[in-house]
Amino acid sequence: MTDLEPILALAGKLAAPYDLATMLVEVVDAATQVLGAERASVWLYEADSDELVLRVASDIAPVRMAAGAGIVGTCARTRKLINVPDCYADARFDPRVDRKSGYRTRCLLALPLIDHQEALVGVMQVLNKRHGVFDAADEALGGVLAAQCAVALQRTLMMQQVIEGEKLRREMETARVVQMSTLPAAMPQVPGYDLYGTFRPADLTGGDTFDLALTEQGLLIVLGDATGHGIGPALSVTQMHAMLRMALRLGADLELAYRSVNNQLAERLPADRFITAFIGLLDPATHRLRFHSGGQAPILCYRAKRASFEEHKPTTFPLAAMPLERLRAATTLELEPGDVLALISDGIYECADARGEDFGAERVRRLIAERHDAPMSELAAALLQAVQGFAGGAPQADDMTLVLVKREPPGAQRAFRRSVESLAQIFAFTAGTVTDAQLRRTVDLVLEELFTNIVKYGRASDTLVSIDIRRLARGVRVTITDPDAEYFDPQRAPQPDVGAPLERREPGGLGLHLVRELVDALEYRYAREERTGRITFSLGTRDAVH
Amino acid sequence: MLSIEAGVPGTVRIAGRLDAAQCPTVQAYLDKLAGTVTLDCRELKYISSAGLGVLLKTQKRLMAAGGKLRLTEVSRHLRDIFQYSGFDQIFDIEPAGE
Repeated sequence: MTDLEPILALAGKLAAPYDLATMLVEVVDAATQVLGAERASVWLYEADSDELVLRVASDIAPVRMAAGAGIVGTCARTRKLINVPDCYADARFDPRVDRKSGYRTRCLLALPLIDHQEALVGVMQVLNKRHGVFDAADEALGGVLAAQCAVALQRTLMMQQVIEGEKLRREMETARVVQMSTLPAAMPQVPGYDLYGTFRPADLTGGDTFDLALTEQGLLIVLGDATGHGIGPALSVTQMHAMLRMALRLGADLELAYRSVNNQLAERLPADRFITAFIGLLDPATHRLRFHSGGQAPILCYRAKRASFEEHKPTTFPLAAMPLERLRAATTLELEPGDVLALISDGIYECADARGEDFGAERVRRLIAERHDAPMSELAAALLQAVQGFAGGAPQADDMTLVLVKREPPGAQRAFRRSVESLAQIFAFTAGTVTDAQLRRTVDLVLEELFTNIVKYGRASDTLVSIDIRRLARGVRVTITDPDAEYFDPQRAPQPDVGAPLERREPGGLGLHLVRELVDALEYRYAREERTGRITFSLGTRDAVH
Repeated sequence: MLSIEAGVPGTVRIAGRLDAAQCPTVQAYLDKLAGTVTLDCRELKYISSAGLGVLLKTQKRLMAAGGKLRLTEVSRHLRDIFQYSGFDQIFDIEPAGE
């Protein structure tokens, strides 16, 4: 009878939650001890490559061997124990290993490591019985030991996968947080422009970024998309973002900034990684936009006057693809009133529906053509909603990013004191801004209702309420901004009963009812921190009351 | 601008824009009237909900005493507003001959 205790002690040890390296040492120690051998080693089986892998030490590359080769390989293939009493008499034995190490292998026992699920985990090789050769008792004991080791190793490998997966996930999350943190927290306010950028991250991977920022050199407009999966793209675009802002802050012009960022990234990023990027500078005074685009396309520009699209090509290859010595001239565009520059990442164009069809450029263009009159935040929301509807619940495969830059159509803005006395000034203001008399009367009515509502029910405040009127192709868009407001959404005000008999009719609520009857679209926004309420409504010429 | 004044007996002429700022003047004028009153709206260019409130209050007061407020020469624009607010069911409205 074999001494049971060392084996039981071993079983206890093998149940511990060791990491793989420790577990391998434990298994090897156990084998030599229990079987009275000089040495032992464990070859792990890799199903993907159909190879056996021997880890010698953590800092030395592991030794690999095709499953099927030599004694260990044969053991892996046949999944049967092999007992070789005299190695040099066995044709399968490769004496080169001995020659290299100076160790002489006399006899060996090769034991297949097979787990509970009958999967091959590897092969344990036990060398040189201290006294004599391995006998039938060793074979039986080795079999028991091998089964224990197989289960322990399999468990350790699985745990390692979980830990590595968790580590990767955490790294990814961190990279994403960093990536998101570089995005502008608020849109820059540029008179005469409506700017909006938004980023909708995919669950796992993606490397989009955007920027809209006022710099000395003008309004910086960026859309970038780094290739690749995993943590890399998120880090790459974060680097690009930081480098670009730094270059501009140091006074670089568009060309120098683009070239320097490209060359730095080309040096730093792995050889197979690149970033498609649009980088432009807009002068809000002259409305001239100059840009370079490294492989970022399409660059769409909606021209309001002709109600048509212009599409521009990239000016160069993607950032980081290779160093740039010289740069072709930047493309220059002049934005006219009502024009919209639309930079949209391929996560939107290439978002596929259940049948594999892409959302595509046509749908994007159609939505922009339909909604170019709306605030850019609304256009962006409409695009994202359309894409989401199109995808029909499929998980988002890639980041989706939109940058919309609209030069506002002509219009005017003026601020008014909170008093019904201001109505005369408001009507004078609309008289100078809205030319169509019927449309103006409706604008006046809606404005009066909303303005008197602020006067009557809003806070007693010295701040002025501003009214902004934009002319649209057919109609107007009006925004009333109350910089000291309590939350009040006029769309949610109770509906008066307009069919009630005289005795029960009250004038309250009637004004907002009229507003809702008259306007095309009404939007209410409230910024809690700034205590600012904003009501935007639009009216078309055709909706004007007679 | 807004003006309100007596026309032929039993008739009041209102002209201009009846917005919230003008309501107190108009209300004060209408409060003095009794019986059945015809409001000639030929020159009334604009009315908001505040103006509708003034007319409503007057109608309630007159009807309680057996009288009422009649609106004549009401433009298409004003009729639209009356209709949106359901006030076309509260007043006798005589359209303008457009």
